[in-house]
Amino acid sequence: MVNSLLREGLGEESFFFRAHPIVNFCYFAGVIGVTMFSNHPAFLLLSFLAAFGYSLLLGGLKSLKTNLLLLLPTVLIMTLFNVLSVHNGVTVLFYVNGNRVTREALLFGLASGVLLASVIIWFRCFSAIVTGEKLIYLFGRPAPMLALTLSMILRYIPLLLERFKQIDAAQRCMGRSFRRGGLIKRFRQFGKELSILISWSLEASIESADSMEARGYGLRRRTSFHLYRFTKSEGLLLLALFIPAALAVLVCALGKTSIWYYPAVVVKSPDALQIAGFAAFGLLALLPPALDLWEVKRWS
Amino acid sequence: MELIRCENLRFTYPDQERPALDGVSFTLEKGEFVLVCGRSGCGKSTLLRQLKKNMIPYGQMEGSARYRGVEIEQLPDRQSAAEIGFVQQSPEQQIVTDKVWHELAFGLESLGVDQRSMRQRVAEMASFFGIQSWFRKNVRELSGGQKQLLNLASIMVMQPRLLILDEPTAQLDPIAASDFIATLKKINTELGTTILISEHRLEELFPIADRVLVMEQSRVALDAPPREAARSMAAGVASEMLPGLPAVVRVAMASGEKAELPLTVREGRLWLEERLGEPPEAAEPPHAPRQKKEKSAEAPAIALREVFFRYARGGAELLRGVDLEVPQGQLTAILGGNGVGKSTTLKLLTRSVKPERGQIELGGKRLNKLSEEELFTNNLALLPQNPQALFTELTAREELEEALSEQKLSEEEKKTRVDAMLRELELERLEKTHPYDLSGGEQQRLALGKLLLLKPKLLLLDEPTKGLAPFFKQTLAALFKRLTGEGVTILMVSHDLEFCARHADRCALMFDGEIVSVGTPRQVLAGNRFYTTSAGRLASAWLPEAILWEEVAAGCAEASTPRS
Repeated sequence: MVNSLLREGLGEESFFFRAHPIVNFCYFAGVIGVTMFSNHPAFLLLSFLAAFGYSLLLGGLKSLKTNLLLLLPTVLIMTLFNVLSVHNGVTVLFYVNGNRVTREALLFGLASGVLLASVIIWFRCFSAIVTGEKLIYLFGRPAPMLALTLSMILRYIPLLLERFKQIDAAQRCMGRSFRRGGLIKRFRQFGKELSILISWSLEASIESADSMEARGYGLRRRTSFHLYRFTKSEGLLLLALFIPAALAVLVCALGKTSIWYYPAVVVKSPDALQIAGFAAFGLLALLPPALDLWEVKRWS
Repeated sequence: MELIRCENLRFTYPDQERPALDGVSFTLEKGEFVLVCGRSGCGKSTLLRQLKKNMIPYGQMEGSARYRGVEIEQLPDRQSAAEIGFVQQSPEQQIVTDKVWHELAFGLESLGVDQRSMRQRVAEMASFFGIQSWFRKNVRELSGGQKQLLNLASIMVMQPRLLILDEPTAQLDPIAASDFIATLKKINTELGTTILISEHRLEELFPIADRVLVMEQSRVALDAPPREAARSMAAGVASEMLPGLPAVVRVAMASGEKAELPLTVREGRLWLEERLGEPPEAAEPPHAPRQKKEKSAEAPAIALREVFFRYARGGAELLRGVDLEVPQGQLTAILGGNGVGKSTTLKLLTRSVKPERGQIELGGKRLNKLSEEELFTNNLALLPQNPQALFTELTAREELEEALSEQKLSEEEKKTRVDAMLRELELERLEKTHPYDLSGGEQQRLALGKLLLLKPKLLLLDEPTKGLAPFFKQTLAALFKRLTGEGVTILMVSHDLEFCARHADRCALMFDGEIVSVGTPRQVLAGNRFYTTSAGRLASAWLPEAILWEEVAAGCAEASTPRS
């Protein structure tokens, strides 16, 4: 149990995964929003660690590799780019081709890199929690058509891939394959298989269109069905996330989660508002992973 | 009360001289279950489509088609969508969303039903159809039978008064088809929904229909309750449909039954008992055919020896030691239900997947030693389940020419070969038709023609009779006969017991990843209580060797001769 949890992560067994889409959405809007507009090292570090930790919890060791692969190049590239293109800052480290390389530019690049990496990892968590189905629900009320379109895309992409597989197998059994032979021949064969896929799918879509129209597609006032129920405990969870989120966003909007990097890096000793904001952000970011862990413990 | 009344309905497609419907009149009472049959192109699909507003094809319409007194073309969209349901043939293509529950709600979403009522109606229908266990699944994970049930359920949530179905079980295996028809029966009797269904496979629908409507050349040739309809067919009215009738009916009619015809296997058994007396006590238990190694000089066309297969380490075993020899120049059929490993066997033979253990030989050569060229040039060919996977051109003739495009032949030689193939497949008349405009049976033959131009020695067929009308099956069987006569080896996987019993040289029954019996169709099917042809199910207690209705009829005739 513990082993597979380490390897595979919680995935869809996560407690937060089963929460109402609106709750999921508020959480990610809060953490990602605050992260994007903060460059205070303390906030950045907190956000980064929370994102990294949560993504490990959800995806297991499998996601460790992906995270590192995303993180290292992002930070490296952002830092290099900033150091080489920005020459502001009072502390000169050394000169490259007669251009100043400053400590401030280095630190700002590093901070931006970490910020970007955190946002990317937060989005990985987002996509693990907010599935296509939940997105469809979130869009469903304001735009039922958009919700339906999303659902149809999720239906047709795998169907097309499956059809292409069948076509490819059938062509291979005629002794034709785009995996063998000269470049032009391969290219032509691939084109042929694509064209079969297109004509087949267009032909098939006539029946789909008939089936949609037969069930009243195109009538006015479309609604969107879903299976989610907003229970009292969902309400409580939403509140528990909303209060710290609101506080963190407020502090962020007041500029307390950012510092100046140019001309010199100044980290003042924190004031009360900053401390409150930091605590609120920490509570927000860590509540869902904490709930997930609590539930794992309850079942074991 | 009348639900539908058609009067002198004529319909002509654009640019066609002959009308597709030529003076069709009939009525449909509330709560009736009516079966429409007729060979492909007789106009039955066109007729069904006239009864659903958004499905009415473009063309010239005369006469009238009314739903509860209102011309169907004039029905308000909302009423037409909600009150008249239409199920089409393909389980796959009617589904438009990704989740089962979402598909169920599609119609209600269109009608703008609010969340609470939707939840209730979806829940109610899901329970009626027994969908609870796969309610939250992705539609991709469903079997063909489940998909078609979902299509039916997603129409039933709208609570239609009339349900129209156009060959809904054509793409299903026999067991899924039975389930589907049983559900229709339940809808008809428990919910009172009126049903109008067209189908080729009459075996199960014939006994439950209130009336049978036979169409012939754009007209209604026959409109009568099943028993009367069968009599009229035997008397020569719409006799084309005779091959589709249930075996029970054919046996009874061939034996000159003058009283009420039996329609179901149960009635048939009672009827047989009257004629043949109590069945002999099961003195000899149904013998399992012994697998005898037939030593022959030539190597078998295909040999599988203890082949094991699974997709992943630790995954489920799909094949568990399959042993099978396919002799040259014969039609061999692998029979079995869904998911027993039939398709996997074909995949192994075309090398789409590799066996975990065991050996496969083609004509005495190890399969994995052959190069792709050796395997697919003048050697092995596969007819896929969906012939569309092979179509690239705009006409049937070009399609056949395309098959030869990679061969170094003179233009004349190519033309001669294509002409010969068109003739052989009886597609000459249709050589300028777009492949997608051909009927299912014609598409099947065209695809086969494409493969045959590559001159394979070994032909693999994946469910070749799926969705074919009885008439087309006979054409196909004749073609197979000719091919095996020319020395081509054919291996088909199939659900179609009736076809294999009649036309295969050898059958292999597969179950749970193993071949459980091999032999002639009679050796494999005779004596089985359930897994056999309907004639076999009917008469196994009296005539354990009979698997075709003619044999049962002959058995009856023999028994009655000394008595009379």
